[in-house]
Amino acid sequence: MDGIKTLADLKKKQEEVRYRMSLRDRAEDPDSLVQVKVAMATCGIASGAKEVMEFFIEELDKRKIDAVVTQTGCMGYCFAEPTVEITLPGREPMVFGYVDTRKADAIIERYIKEGELVDGIIPRNYNTI
Amino acid sequence: MIDLAMHMMDIVQNSLRAGAGKIEIELLENSRDHTLQFRVKDDGSGMDGETVKKLGDPFFTTRTIRKVGLGVPFLKMTCEQAGGALSVFSEEGAGSVVEAVYRTDHPDCLPLGDIAGYLVLLLRANPEVHFRFTCRIDKAEFILDSDVLKEQQIELEHPQMLAAVKEYIRGNLREIYEKQPSRGFLCM
Repeated sequence: MDGIKTLADLKKKQEEVRYRMSLRDRAEDPDSLVQVKVAMATCGIASGAKEVMEFFIEELDKRKIDAVVTQTGCMGYCFAEPTVEITLPGREPMVFGYVDTRKADAIIERYIKEGELVDGIIPRNYNTI
Repeated sequence: MIDLAMHMMDIVQNSLRAGAGKIEIELLENSRDHTLQFRVKDDGSGMDGETVKKLGDPFFTTRTIRKVGLGVPFLKMTCEQAGGALSVFSEEGAGSVVEAVYRTDHPDCLPLGDIAGYLVLLLRANPEVHFRFTCRIDKAEFILDSDVLKEQQIELEHPQMLAAVKEYIRGNLREIYEKQPSRGFLCM
């Protein structure tokens, strides 16, 4: 299709996509999905969180990983933006800092797929008394 | 913040945090008096007069996680640098309006940036919120309403639809900008 200009064009595209989507049913239970939260506050936006979020949405789909990609606020690690919090099913959330598209690629390939830790983890699970 | 699209994402996050159910975003350009009005209106929790006064202060924030709040001060800075002004109207329980005016004939006026890219991310990440985006240049106008997309059963969940909606917004914005030959503002 060349050029999407009207709502009718969008609807046509949606029908095409829906047909393909029905072949790959999404899991109903959100706990069984990988959750990716991209920090999107002032600090994140200014450091390029949008590109990182777009990358995760596109690449997770291309690599056929069922995941929910969403936004969150500032987690207080402004120095390390863009930051991303990843929750693998049944695991504690993990926060990665200084994420660009190259780092995001490593996170998908090594952490999400294999469960290996990659550089840039921000320890956040300290319990204070 | 190097473009208006980034400011848009940032200011809308404030509305979302205020629990807004409907958010209106407007970019209104007037070529006769060379102004660009960027406006975000929400029906969130609103603020009292004291809080509104403190908004321009970079060391004011409601967060406890850090001690600075730069979103609104940055917006104030960029529009004032471009010969414009920022105003905020708010009422507790009724919502807020943030309005930044830029002078488009000022060399420091911000470019639009990737409005389409940020808009689709906003719509996708907040499916329960009703967004209405209006871009108007003189008489040419483009409106994107998330309720209309829902009526047409457009699902942003799927990355391919995300790209399609982005293209739809971009194409329409480009069209109204092309009617305005004096300016090559739209960076995409």
